[in-house]
Amino acid sequence: MDIKVTVNGTTHHLDVPDNTLLVDVLRERLGLTGTHVGCDTSQCGACVVHMDGTAVKSCTVLAGQADGAGVTTIEGIGRPDDLHPMQAAFRENHALQCGFCTPGMIMSAIDMVQKSEGRLDEAAVRDGLEGNLCRCTGYHNIVKAVLSAQDSM
Amino acid sequence: MATETGIGASVKRKEDARFITGAGRYTDDVGQHGQTYAVFARSPYARARLNGLDTSAALATDGVVAVFTGADLQASEVGDLPCGWMVKSKDGSDMVQPPHPPLAVSSVNYVGEPYAVVIGETLEAAKNGAEALDPDFEEQDAVVDLATAAEADQIHESVPNNQCYDWELGDKAATDAAFAQAHHVASIDIVNNRLIPNAIEPRAALGEYDEASGTYTLHTTSQNPHLERLVLAAFVNIAPEARLRVISPDVGGGFGSKIFVYAEETAVIWAAGQLRRPVKWRAERSESFLADAHGRDHVTHAELALAEDGRFLGLRVKNKANMGAYLSTFASSVPTYLYGTLMAGQYKTPAIYVEVQSLFTNTAPVDAYRGAGRPEATYVVERLVETAAREMGIDPAELRRRNFIQPADFPYETPVALTYDTGDYEASLDRALDHADYSGFQARREASEQGGKKRGIGFSCYIEACGLAPSQVAISLGAGVGLFEVGEVRVDVTGSVTVVTGSHSHGQSHETTFAQIISDKLGVPFENVTVLHGDTGRSDYALGTYGSRSLAVGGSAIIKATDKIIAKGKKIAAHMLEAKEDQVEFEDGSFNVADSNQSLTFGEVAFAAYVPANYPLEELEPGLSEKAFYDPPNFTYPAGAHICEVEVDPDTGVVTIEKFVAVDDFGHVINPMIVEGQVHGGLAQGIGQALLEHGVYDDTGQLLSGSYMDYTMPRADDLPSFTVDTTVTPCTHNPLGVKGCGEAGAIGSTAAVMNAVTDALGVKDVPMPATSETVWRALRNGGNG
Amino acid sequence: MEQSGEYRIAGPRMRVWEALNDPAVLVRCIDGCRSMTPVGDDRFEAVVAARVGPVKATFNAAIALCDVEPPERYRLEVQVKGGVAGFAKGTALVELEEVTTEETLLKYQITGGIGGKLAQIGSRLVESAARKLTASFFERFAVDFAA
Repeated sequence: MDIKVTVNGTTHHLDVPDNTLLVDVLRERLGLTGTHVGCDTSQCGACVVHMDGTAVKSCTVLAGQADGAGVTTIEGIGRPDDLHPMQAAFRENHALQCGFCTPGMIMSAIDMVQKSEGRLDEAAVRDGLEGNLCRCTGYHNIVKAVLSAQDSM
Repeated sequence: MATETGIGASVKRKEDARFITGAGRYTDDVGQHGQTYAVFARSPYARARLNGLDTSAALATDGVVAVFTGADLQASEVGDLPCGWMVKSKDGSDMVQPPHPPLAVSSVNYVGEPYAVVIGETLEAAKNGAEALDPDFEEQDAVVDLATAAEADQIHESVPNNQCYDWELGDKAATDAAFAQAHHVASIDIVNNRLIPNAIEPRAALGEYDEASGTYTLHTTSQNPHLERLVLAAFVNIAPEARLRVISPDVGGGFGSKIFVYAEETAVIWAAGQLRRPVKWRAERSESFLADAHGRDHVTHAELALAEDGRFLGLRVKNKANMGAYLSTFASSVPTYLYGTLMAGQYKTPAIYVEVQSLFTNTAPVDAYRGAGRPEATYVVERLVETAAREMGIDPAELRRRNFIQPADFPYETPVALTYDTGDYEASLDRALDHADYSGFQARREASEQGGKKRGIGFSCYIEACGLAPSQVAISLGAGVGLFEVGEVRVDVTGSVTVVTGSHSHGQSHETTFAQIISDKLGVPFENVTVLHGDTGRSDYALGTYGSRSLAVGGSAIIKATDKIIAKGKKIAAHMLEAKEDQVEFEDGSFNVADSNQSLTFGEVAFAAYVPANYPLEELEPGLSEKAFYDPPNFTYPAGAHICEVEVDPDTGVVTIEKFVAVDDFGHVINPMIVEGQVHGGLAQGIGQALLEHGVYDDTGQLLSGSYMDYTMPRADDLPSFTVDTTVTPCTHNPLGVKGCGEAGAIGSTAAVMNAVTDALGVKDVPMPATSETVWRALRNGGNG
Repeated sequence: MEQSGEYRIAGPRMRVWEALNDPAVLVRCIDGCRSMTPVGDDRFEAVVAARVGPVKATFNAAIALCDVEPPERYRLEVQVKGGVAGFAKGTALVELEEVTTEETLLKYQITGGIGGKLAQIGSRLVESAARKLTASFFERFAVDFAA
């Protein structure tokens, strides 16, 4: 099928098999390997991207569902010399170790802060991160990072 | 030199810039033109004969390039996957090692064991091909239960009673004599639950073969690429090391599970040679569950003999350890030399005797998982000490205090083969008691009771032997490899520094920590130091990262190489300044002549080394690049005190961790921020074992907890924020005085949690994981879930 | 996994027995059954598309009738190979009792097991899926028989 998808501001017209997943479009077709695949049951959250401003698990979105949509990946939110406040907070708070879950974690966290009504507290952040697994940090510093980023976002 | 980026500073990580922007480069991110895709066919049976395998339909599937079976690998003389540690039984006989072909040939022995690999032009084609395979399995009764495995059907023809070895350590007679004099004997029967490692990056491999040079290149998710290369060269017979390069790029967590040499990368690199095309494989999470080496899985009976005043007199441990269906790379060492040797803990127990029977079952191979043997040992000792304290009516902190090895006792030789160099266990415990507000616990417990809840507190004063390992000791105990490390410091012409380390970072932050060390020692700006790792084409033979060894062993090698740099720099400076070599001092990044104002910067000396205008080349080679191998004289002994406070809702059985305190002694700390992060992650895994995680097979050997829907990974809302602190007794035998921090959290925390849970419930034991259901049941029948 | 149950079917025992041995009837009554081909005495090969939780696959089932005692009982041995989805196996003991000349009591006892991906991912779901499949079979059978 033919799809039109705008990723990080660039519009792509792609011909993909019907059963193609969004994550495979991003990784295999567009070379955006910052979005990771960590499980096959939509549990780990390593593949989270934003689709039309909402966090989605790109391993459970068909490419066809993204037809006409705007997708933002970790590569699209900031560069090393111009970090998104959430990226900066992750670095500042040592909220990552191996880095594999980090892109999905950051994309989920941004969505959580953007959608929060009022200030998030620790319990709300922990609850909001329920869909993202990290095996390295014990979440302690991720929670700190999200709480600190909401002040700068 | 204390600076913002030197030793002791919480420098922000160099690694982060790429990871937070999606620019990390993990194995699955590496692609090659013309690459093919591998899919492994895996046994659905825990135990079956493979009487035949019809590959014709698979081969005829659109897009399938090749199908390789176990027989194909055997015909090509691909060797078995070896186990690198020979353990001997009590009677002196060698352990029994069943053959472990990378792809099963005539029998399969665990669900998930690969028996064929299908290579396709696309992943989908390979999957379709795998679907079309027609194996003829004849199912047999599986051996699943560890406790009865020795009496069950024999799994491997060459392994009577399914026994790998029956090992012992310590003085049996002396221990029995100690028990004969005991005022009190505390005993426990405990199970150390099977865990599935679950690094978030699944294992992956990309094999390539270059026809022109006959050279193989393997990108793979390995914690120790040199070990991978050694095994593939020397045992599997892919190619000699010189024609085999193994690259471990960014690796998304390991926790032990990526130490081992697995079937998949073996088949992938071999197939790349057969096909003359790149072959790529990435595990699906389901495969990770089935075929990554699992952890723990012990069944243990242990007894502690005490005098009337609570002094420990003797400790007896009888343990069964599950090896799974085959011996993974270091499986045999985990329940023996990384377990029995730790049974003294922090205590002056004079007599200890440990027996370990390792058995095969029709389950996934079991090997090192974060802590590897030491969490299991800590769990035995610390559960037993807490049990004894309760039975004798002595405060558990006080009972520990009465038995601690004291600072004046070091070096302290334990009855189980180790010599601890240093420590101050009471200092850690006191600090932890303060943080935990132990004196206020009773009031908090009463408050909980008024609210209808039960509150408990639990301790764990653990010790670990890290910094693996003195090679000669390890080899004398059965290790098949030396356990030194290599470090190379290449000073560039303009004075920046490139460090090549044999250690491998998969979250540990070596690029930052090692750069801090170099910056500190050489006075070179932190940003001008680059650390390279993870490539056999870049570093000398090295042993990689596991057992909290990177800083203590890898860091020491770098220090040793740095010392050589400084020594040579002094020689160069002496010539340039027309001084005597022994008059030249190196301090704060410059070479100074004593009692003069003559001085050269490090950069000036580096430049002179490469533009050798005025020093005698016949005495001194040009260049400023040094390498050192460091073999540690002893293990390091990180230790600490963990205190966990829980509240249990008796109506639901839900356990909530109210507070978790970890006070650890890692010796000197290079980067406190990174060390704290390592502790946090370890705690999450240790708490996960206690409360959430369990690798469950049914009685036919089917893995029931085979996805994130059934295997409970700790999530953010399962855990509290932690209180983490350190005390310092510097290691006495390495140049940085460091001990290692990677595993401590996972080693100490599990026992603390379970001591707290059993304290809250007022029962002797609750099986792990203490899920709400288990706890709810325990409350209704007085223990034993 | 074990299941048992009984159904009352409006019809004489011999006719119920015949229907239970008719591949055409079985194809109609097994949810997702695409074909049922006799491959010898009391042996059939069936193709069934089934979904268990997230695992959806087409299964080839080998069915053997054993200990056949018309019109009272038989034992159905089913072996299912699901390729990469794993396998399932089961035994159903089916007994027919004559309640009246026009009513038959069908009793069944099923034991079974699963393996591979089915067990790994679907184990929590298989028992309820099997119950559903069994219930739907007998419901359809009763309806089909009455028609």
